[in-house]
Amino acid sequence: MLKIENMTGGYGEVDILKGIDLTLEAGEILTVAGTNGAGKSTLAKAVVGLLPRVGGRVLLSGEDITKVPAERRARTGIGYVPQTANVFSSLTIVENLEVVEGVKDRKARMAEMFDLFPALAGRRRSRAGSLSGGERQQLAFARALMTKPPVIVLDEPTAALSPIMADESFSRIKALAGTGTAVLLIEQRARQALEISHRGAIMDGGKVALEGEARTLLADERAAELYLGVGH
Amino acid sequence: MTGFAELLFSGLMSGLIIGLAGLAVTLVFGIARFSNAATGDTMTLGAYGALVGSAFTGSVILGSLIGLAAGALASVVSYLLVFRPLQGRSPISSLLASIGLAFFIRAIIGLVFGHDQNVFQLDIVRPIKFAGIRIQPNDLKFAAVAISTLAVVFIILHLTPIGRRMRAVADNPLLAKVSGISPRPVMLALWSIAGAVSAIAGIILGMKTVVSPESGWEMLLPAFAAAVLGGIGHPIGAIVGGLLIGVAQELATPFVGFTYKIAVSFIVLLLVLLIRPKGLFGRSEGVR
Repeated sequence: MLKIENMTGGYGEVDILKGIDLTLEAGEILTVAGTNGAGKSTLAKAVVGLLPRVGGRVLLSGEDITKVPAERRARTGIGYVPQTANVFSSLTIVENLEVVEGVKDRKARMAEMFDLFPALAGRRRSRAGSLSGGERQQLAFARALMTKPPVIVLDEPTAALSPIMADESFSRIKALAGTGTAVLLIEQRARQALEISHRGAIMDGGKVALEGEARTLLADERAAELYLGVGH
Repeated sequence: MTGFAELLFSGLMSGLIIGLAGLAVTLVFGIARFSNAATGDTMTLGAYGALVGSAFTGSVILGSLIGLAAGALASVVSYLLVFRPLQGRSPISSLLASIGLAFFIRAIIGLVFGHDQNVFQLDIVRPIKFAGIRIQPNDLKFAAVAISTLAVVFIILHLTPIGRRMRAVADNPLLAKVSGISPRPVMLALWSIAGAVSAIAGIILGMKTVVSPESGWEMLLPAFAAAVLGGIGHPIGAIVGGLLIGVAQELATPFVGFTYKIAVSFIVLLLVLLIRPKGLFGRSEGVR
């Protein structure tokens, strides 16, 4: 579904990503974990087309999309939930969903989103800026899912959430993958993320330091000690 | 008291013109992220377009529509030829380019039409008296046009898909990109609207006073002051800011004289920047 080949790049002249190779299949959750500054969010931006300078290749369903601008990637198959500023604060909930382009049956899709996120349904005309952290997160998911993307990139979706809300968020991500969506999940709560994932990759210094089955990584003592936080 | 009320009414009229120009400034700032110093000269271009159009068609209304189209077209062409190539660079580059563009437009207007003052051939109508205040019927028409323009802009921004996308881009440009919003139609809509609004402001100004190559340029400081006072990037703020500055200028006229009333704009601009840089409506960026 999604293939990343020898990806390099960064914001200026210095490479933050130093040769990343990853694949992601339909219905699969791939957690990307690692220490702060490892390049996880940069990788997410590179995949969705927001990184100014990228080398290597990004393939979506076999098609090379490395040079495709972010707005076209969004319309044709990659949803993205950024870590921060992930809703249009000054627009209402409905407007946040209405502005998304590339939606086939908008009315039906919006109804599906309100069924999926009932907390949003009752506040359709509220400004997104007035929502709680959890509600914002739901709206960010709904916005990213409007186009029914085959691939969704989630950049630390539980970062600002309470443990209970984070659990809900992980359940939602698992359910989403169950519908066939490929999920690239960037997470600091690596253990919890790996528990719902099929595979995991641990980044260090702009490279993939460890990669494998999520279960294997969770059992790997070196990974646990260096990257996952022992006992967490 | 009557004199005060007449100055107040006159200030509201000037305020609507300043507010329209401020709206054009704030729209461009909110979405394209720079202060467009060519706004005033786009006003002038619109006024000259209306003068020429009126002369050709024999109708001030048709002429005004031609002026409006000229302003919108000039604005879109400016975007395509000057501002789009500068996208992604520092806002200072675009600001400096807009200053150059302003001089260019003014020079072309001066070259084509000369530097004499021109007037619209409007019917002379006797002022009406309302509660002791003398009101020019044309002023009421101008106010109706200005208010209708504002209504149309707000309808576009809030009730149409392209308007909502413009607001989304203003709110969060990167999120707009990953929501599939193409920048091109949004920018074309923005520059068309900003140009048309500037042209309408210039036409009303020209009909109320005179048309000269410098008339729009002289409105630039009040327009910037209105946008800053209202909260840059805030359309309603620009209108409220324009009305307040218009009234302040007119009420100051008996004390400072006609020539120096523009200093009021500068003082307002300075005070707002010093005391409340985010302006009255409290947000610093984005068309909300």
